[in-house]
Amino acid sequence: MSERDQLKQFLAGRIWLRHLLPFPQETVDEAIRQGDIHIEQGVTTKKTWHGTHYACQRCHNENPTRFTVFACAQCEAPCAYCRNCLNMGRVSCCSELLTWTGTPPAFPTDHRMNWQGNLTPSQEKATRELLDSTIQGISHLLYAVCGSGKTEMLFQPIHYVLNEGKRVCLAAPRVDVILELLPRLTTAFPDTRVEALYGGAEVKHFDAQLILATTHQLYRFHKAFDAVFVDEADAFPYTADETLQRAVRKAVKPNAPIHFVTATPSSQLLAMNKKQGKISILARRYHGQPLPVPRNEALWNYEKQLKKKRIPEKLLRWTTERLDKQQPFLIFFHQIELMELAEPLFQKLDERICAVHAEHDDRKERVQLLRQKETPGLLTTTILERGITIPNVQVAVVGAEQTIFNKGALIQIGGRVGRSVPNTSGDFVLFHQGITRAMDEAKREIRKLNDTEVPQ
Amino acid sequence: MTCLLCDKALDDQPTWQHFLGIQKDMSACPICLEKFERIDHVIEDDVLDSVHSLYAYNEAAKEYLHQFKFMQDIALAQIFATSLRSVLNDSKKIIVPIPMHPINKRKRTFSQVDALLEAAKIPYQSLLEKTTESVMGEKSRSERLAMTELFRVTADICSNEAVYVLVDDIYTTGTTLRHAAEALKQRGVQRVEAVTLFRPIREK
Repeated sequence: MSERDQLKQFLAGRIWLRHLLPFPQETVDEAIRQGDIHIEQGVTTKKTWHGTHYACQRCHNENPTRFTVFACAQCEAPCAYCRNCLNMGRVSCCSELLTWTGTPPAFPTDHRMNWQGNLTPSQEKATRELLDSTIQGISHLLYAVCGSGKTEMLFQPIHYVLNEGKRVCLAAPRVDVILELLPRLTTAFPDTRVEALYGGAEVKHFDAQLILATTHQLYRFHKAFDAVFVDEADAFPYTADETLQRAVRKAVKPNAPIHFVTATPSSQLLAMNKKQGKISILARRYHGQPLPVPRNEALWNYEKQLKKKRIPEKLLRWTTERLDKQQPFLIFFHQIELMELAEPLFQKLDERICAVHAEHDDRKERVQLLRQKETPGLLTTTILERGITIPNVQVAVVGAEQTIFNKGALIQIGGRVGRSVPNTSGDFVLFHQGITRAMDEAKREIRKLNDTEVPQ
Repeated sequence: MTCLLCDKALDDQPTWQHFLGIQKDMSACPICLEKFERIDHVIEDDVLDSVHSLYAYNEAAKEYLHQFKFMQDIALAQIFATSLRSVLNDSKKIIVPIPMHPINKRKRTFSQVDALLEAAKIPYQSLLEKTTESVMGEKSRSERLAMTELFRVTADICSNEAVYVLVDDIYTTGTTLRHAAEALKQRGVQRVEAVTLFRPIREK
């Protein structure tokens, strides 16, 4: 393949800094001369009555606190750069962003789907609805409880788009989710070019038709996809960061559908899809058993007691019971510092207990240890709130009243319990000092889902 | 405001001290700042009358310089503003930043030492000019020691009696600073000191 065709395959659908393109300058210059590439200023400025307004053309950040202005030695003028997408290469007023405007590349239309699993009647129904929306180009919300087999329901709609010779993206806010999805999708679509993009990963297959990406990576796409599926659409930081939501809208072609998949949709997401799109609700897990309902347990002054190097009485009793019954357990904390304070105290009960948080590179291995019963239990932050399955796990939340444990987080945490046969239920306890609205709402929501009639 | 290093929200409750301008705005959170190890290491040699290094070149420092210099995040200059100001507050001393070669400066779009000093609001004089395009970080120790003249004094030295303080981001073998000090001393300067932000320390 000629270098020019490679450039086309790489740049089509992307928005890329000129000096970071992995192609020789002459090839790029030649394409620009022929009018196949559009050049855009990296950060645009607009004078307003209260100062200069900056906008990053890559990540669409317009928040003035996320720009830094400095005397630039390159453009010899005051120049602003965007700190929001800095780690993808700095975009400033004097940097150039390139997009492909020439003929789009063609993709294969014969994709094999290698998946023979069975869908339950309710999964079947939701998949069909999602497929219909994809064909019609309408956004769809798949609201499916934790452990209902969401990924499998995406296969048919993805297969449809691929066979149309179109590009699909499966996006999720967290790397862990992407890394977990990648092997499942490569086995489901063995002949398709699949690529996973996340922080630190290089673009390897310029012609990938199915792209798995963290939502951050979508900053670098521009009118690229004919459908985007956003998995775990309520996870941090997607809901908290408006530029990520803009990034998703920017990455799809105009009028292409954006589908959301989540177990805990925000009211905003629900409202949006009620107005403009469609919703499928899947209220029952694949094994048909109800979701575990949380149990509230007061635990006063837990912070003070842990600081005094003492595990609060009730928490101690709960933990020793798990140890006696040899049930694997997860204890969630709201703060890394508090968790690290508690770690040595729990290790006195059993020295194999350890803590897991976002900065541990080996958190995958530690979770694996829990699955293999090498360790009786883990202390964790909300990092393990979603995406993991451990048979017969029991869950406690310490400090459930903390703001970080919102309704969605609590439902997700509860979703770890009773995921697999034969242990379809388990203990889900919220240790708190004062019941919050979020705790009540989570409980109400779980009860409501459990009471929903399901088609058999 | 968010921390410049970890992007977490800073705890900036309004206080009277802040309102009255006594308390300064924080640029990074205490957790990130704690990772920098203050050493205040001072040495002397035959050319440099004193070299004061403020922080250990540890993992956090490495990351900091990577983001500051190679990711070109000039906003990070703010983080060491207070500590640099506290050691460079003598108005009788003349502050001279170690310069970058103009071509390299254009590539990076800014000179990191100038940026550090500007963020700290320390007045400085750019008396030196780099004569080679080569960068210290890409050379081996023996190559560095074998280098000939690296800097040229571009402006007139108005007072030989004044103390000149060279500023650089990191001290490794000291070649850069020694060359700069020699260039100044050849023009008759009596005393040349140096301040660097980082310095590698041996693990005990």
